[in-house]
Amino acid sequence: MSTSCRIGLLQLADSAPVIVAHALNLFSKYGVAVEPVIVPSWANIADGLVWNGLDGAIMFAPLAIMTALGQRGRAIALRPGLPLSREGNKIVLRGQHTEQEQWHSECDKHRAFQHWAATLDRKPRLAVVHLYSTHYLILTRFLKSISICRDTETEIVIMPPANMIEALAAGEIDGFCAGPPWGADAALKHLAFPVAGSASIVSGHLEKMLILKETWKAENPDATHRIYNAVCDAAKICTAPEQTAYVTDLLSAPLTAYGLGLPAEAVATVMPAAPTAPDTMIFDTAPRSADSSFGWMIQDMQTEGWLTRPLPDALSNLGWV
Amino acid sequence: MMKVLLADENSHRAGALARLLEADNSLDVILLNPHASLIDAVRCHAPDIVLVDISRADRDALDSVRALAASPLERPVALFVDEDDESLMEDAFAAGVCSYNVLDTPVKNVKPLLRSAIALYHRFKKTNAELLAAKKTLSERETIDRAKLLFMKHERCKEEEAYRWFRKQAMQHSRKIIDIASEYLSNNAGKPVE
Repeated sequence: MSTSCRIGLLQLADSAPVIVAHALNLFSKYGVAVEPVIVPSWANIADGLVWNGLDGAIMFAPLAIMTALGQRGRAIALRPGLPLSREGNKIVLRGQHTEQEQWHSECDKHRAFQHWAATLDRKPRLAVVHLYSTHYLILTRFLKSISICRDTETEIVIMPPANMIEALAAGEIDGFCAGPPWGADAALKHLAFPVAGSASIVSGHLEKMLILKETWKAENPDATHRIYNAVCDAAKICTAPEQTAYVTDLLSAPLTAYGLGLPAEAVATVMPAAPTAPDTMIFDTAPRSADSSFGWMIQDMQTEGWLTRPLPDALSNLGWV
Repeated sequence: MMKVLLADENSHRAGALARLLEADNSLDVILLNPHASLIDAVRCHAPDIVLVDISRADRDALDSVRALAASPLERPVALFVDEDDESLMEDAFAAGVCSYNVLDTPVKNVKPLLRSAIALYHRFKKTNAELLAAKKTLSERETIDRAKLLFMKHERCKEEEAYRWFRKQAMQHSRKIIDIASEYLSNNAGKPVE
């Protein structure tokens, strides 16, 4: 076993396949050494890849695309990797039972949002995990679907997902769109109520991928499929109902004990086999076409003006279109 | 005069770096108050360059200012990248610091600033690692002492004999004394002394 691969990830429940593969020595079983590196924010993921702190990362496609194009630092070759998860993000707004009842009792969600916003003493401040994220695109689609102008009727702020609960409790933000389990955690802590799961906005959308740097793949030609095999095995374990308790315990274990330090009760509600929760994450490593995986994101990224029309050649050269 | 904003929650390190940079009369160094918002500070002080601890949570916000349509900042912010000096950026990332250019045009003479920051971050990292190693050694010594004490009570023996027993176990099983001591404590703590 000579290959060592540093994979960056954040404190999110959909990082589970790499954490499980590491904890169960699945990487060793396939003859590769992998070191999961937990970083505080998405900027650290992108910089880690660009400046050789990481060999790969669990990340969403928009950030990978913008990093590959050199839109936030030096351009590096990143191709679509192994799909890991679908759906699972949640949009929540500040409030408790009363606000939630008002939201649900109002059929016109534009009015519901305006009524909710009127209870605040400022323009609603909504957080997303990074600008170049599926969360930002999904929140934008949600606001558009209820005829709320993101740029004039809300203020968008950026912060790492693990900081959102504290920011909500401190009154720094009024809602957020974040990955699992942070939306569920905000609801369980009675800080916010859910208004939409990402599945209801873009059904079946690809969320996280395991992306390895092309330079690392070239230096380790035999290692990529081994890492992918280990993570695919782990993703099956993460989906198996009989393993839910194990995976939940692992994700909730402290960082010092190879866990992710996530809130256990919230994690239990977002696991794929959770009995009642409507917005669970789905671990799915099956490959799909570039268009079905990234088509909607690339279209939205063009609308935002991040990507040119026509698209840069580098995107098709790298396999994103 | 170049305006430099230092955003580092480690106040000792930030203070040391500020003192280092203030020796250069061409720099106006501003320290970000603990818990103050990085975006607010950039808006308020309009620095030319921001040196930031890469683990700061609101670094992501700065990362996104250039493209965020509703950004309250008029000045663009970009991660400082020197295409000719990749190793400088790699060193900076490895040390835990990065720099953001807050102007349309790249700021000149950023490299010496970044090099000073890298050197200082490395020094703090080394000191921190030494401190952690010292704490670990202390904690290991305490564990071994507790295990020896328990062994002495159980076996009614002197300290030398207890130490010899732990050392023998470690050698026989090719393990560290600290591991044997921890195991002994977890297996025997709470057992009555005969």
